[in-house]
Amino acid sequence: MPDGALMRAEGLGKRFGAHWIFRRLTFELEKGQGLMIVGRNGAGKSTLLKALAGLLTPDEGKIEIPFEDPRRHLALSALDQSLYPHLTVREHLVLFGQLRGCEDRADELIERIGLPEASDRYAARLSTGMKSRLKLALAIQPRPEILMLDEPGAALDEAGKELVAGICAEQVERGVLIIATNDPDEKRFGTHELELT
Amino acid sequence: MNIGKIVVGLAVVGTTIWGFLAPPAQGFMHEDLARILFWHLPYAFITVIFLFAGAWQSIKVLRSAGQPTVDFRAEAANELAMLFALITMVTGILFSKAQWNAWWSWDPRQTSFLFVLLILFAYFALRAGISDRVKRAVNSAAYCIAALLPILFLIFVLPRLPQVQSLHPSNTIAGGGLKGDYWYVVLANFVLFTFIAHWLYTMRVKVSHLEWDRENRDARMDDGGHGAATGVVRPLSLSDEN
Amino acid sequence: MESSSWSSEILSVLRKEFVSEMRQKSGLLTAGLFAVVSVVAVAFASFGNKLTAGFASGLIWVTVLFTAVVAIPRVFLLEEEQGTGDMLRLSARPHAVFWGKGLFAFAQLLAGAAVTSLLFFILTSVALYGVGIYVLGLAGGCAALAGAVTLCGALVAQAANRAVLAGAIALPLLLPLIALGVAGMRTALEPDGAQGGVEAVLGLWSYAAAVWAIGPHLFAAVWKR
Repeated sequence: MPDGALMRAEGLGKRFGAHWIFRRLTFELEKGQGLMIVGRNGAGKSTLLKALAGLLTPDEGKIEIPFEDPRRHLALSALDQSLYPHLTVREHLVLFGQLRGCEDRADELIERIGLPEASDRYAARLSTGMKSRLKLALAIQPRPEILMLDEPGAALDEAGKELVAGICAEQVERGVLIIATNDPDEKRFGTHELELT
Repeated sequence: MNIGKIVVGLAVVGTTIWGFLAPPAQGFMHEDLARILFWHLPYAFITVIFLFAGAWQSIKVLRSAGQPTVDFRAEAANELAMLFALITMVTGILFSKAQWNAWWSWDPRQTSFLFVLLILFAYFALRAGISDRVKRAVNSAAYCIAALLPILFLIFVLPRLPQVQSLHPSNTIAGGGLKGDYWYVVLANFVLFTFIAHWLYTMRVKVSHLEWDRENRDARMDDGGHGAATGVVRPLSLSDEN
Repeated sequence: MESSSWSSEILSVLRKEFVSEMRQKSGLLTAGLFAVVSVVAVAFASFGNKLTAGFASGLIWVTVLFTAVVAIPRVFLLEEEQGTGDMLRLSARPHAVFWGKGLFAFAQLLAGAAVTSLLFFILTSVALYGVGIYVLGLAGGCAALAGAVTLCGALVAQAANRAVLAGAIALPLLLPLIALGVAGMRTALEPDGAQGGVEAVLGLWSYAAAVWAIGPHLFAAVWKR
């Protein structure tokens, strides 16, 4: 993998049955770059993010990242991810921090995402916006070099969108940011755009 | 018609006639009906061969990260194992009724073959439940490998345990119990049906390849065939940010 | 940045399973109810008949087996049904996930088997002569069952009809184990039958060791795909 590149995709393709979702995608991302993945509903934005995260095996091509164990270096916050309904906000952060071997910064993250009053509330009792904030916190917890967000502002109010803006700005300084979005406001965080047709 | 198929067909007819010309076996309740052993024994051995082949191909599936072309061989081997296990079971049931006066005796070898068949049915039930091709290959390969331990126990250990009484003789072949025509017919059928089974296996793998090629061809047509990428990364200019 | 040890990761998964289950209780209650109803049903069906040692041990093992295939696959099926599977895949090493969930399944099954046994002896008045053989055999069988059924749950987690399929594919793998279990437990229910039981118990624990040796590797091969 070329020096400095944090992610390289070459000839990437994914199909379901005979129908290709995307094909022959090639790009390379270095620190400081942000890739905006845009396209109509059903174009395959979420599928591409999952393939880049290693959750789906592509049918063609390959993805390279310079980390043998990506758990602390790559994070994804996706729309269809759920939380454990009977764990609290704090317990989620502690659990995933322990699994990934991160330092314990549950309190700091709870404060950052604006949920100090809800820190001991079960995830099942959180609103959609609060769940989105918690998912963002879980994604940034390991301070990953590669952060992927799937429509991060979809369920958030203005304060939440400012939180996303702050996270994106930090991420571009730390590493690479990949956002799947159709929100014009979120496009400003990117340096490159990939439109799926 | 293919000369090879004619030769094989004649060989099958020849060994069948030879089997019926062999003198009746000694020591059976119905000595003529004991001839079913000419097919029952070879089919049992061929089942075991394909069980091991299926497990071996499954290891290769996991090593290849679910490559469909490797999965075809694992699936075909297990299909042949199931086919020959079913025929072994049916011939065994007929033999059981003729010799021991019961369709089913819970004999340890009968029972272990039944359990092996159940494992094979479960393998195909698992495959049928997973639609994603790679996931289906990998998960069914993992199951096949996990099943190897109980299969080895059922076929090689359980019937030989000292506490277990079996109606099946345990060392007929190694102890020279099969003699003369009986031994030669069993051996001839084993060689012949192993050849036929291998031919069926290669045919089955070819069919899988043809289905896969058709799916790939359909996918190329869906793509438009012109090879363009479904998206190109371009830099965002200042004007795009507004 | 800190690194995590295997033991801390396994304990984190195990703790998560316990906490979730204790708070929602539906899985425990369902498994517990199934075990109790099964024992009552078999004891009722055999009422009035003198149960031989072999028959009694078969009934106990069948109850434990079916409780296992009903309750244990849930450890993985729930992750996919809840939509939390992907987050776990991104954050945890596969071996840690298998060991954490498998140990939880073992603890759950052991508790269920203890309740099942106690209830069975009360309802049928079958006598227990070899307590050591019985306990060791049951524990070894539960260890093997937990490992095998946990793996089967992972194999079907993203399949159609997964709840039924998990049991359907697990049962054939476990029949030889049950044969060993019945052979061992029978000797514990006979007044003078210790010797054969020791071999069967060793066989059960060997089966468990093999399952737990190979299970995590097979799980790792299927987990992320």
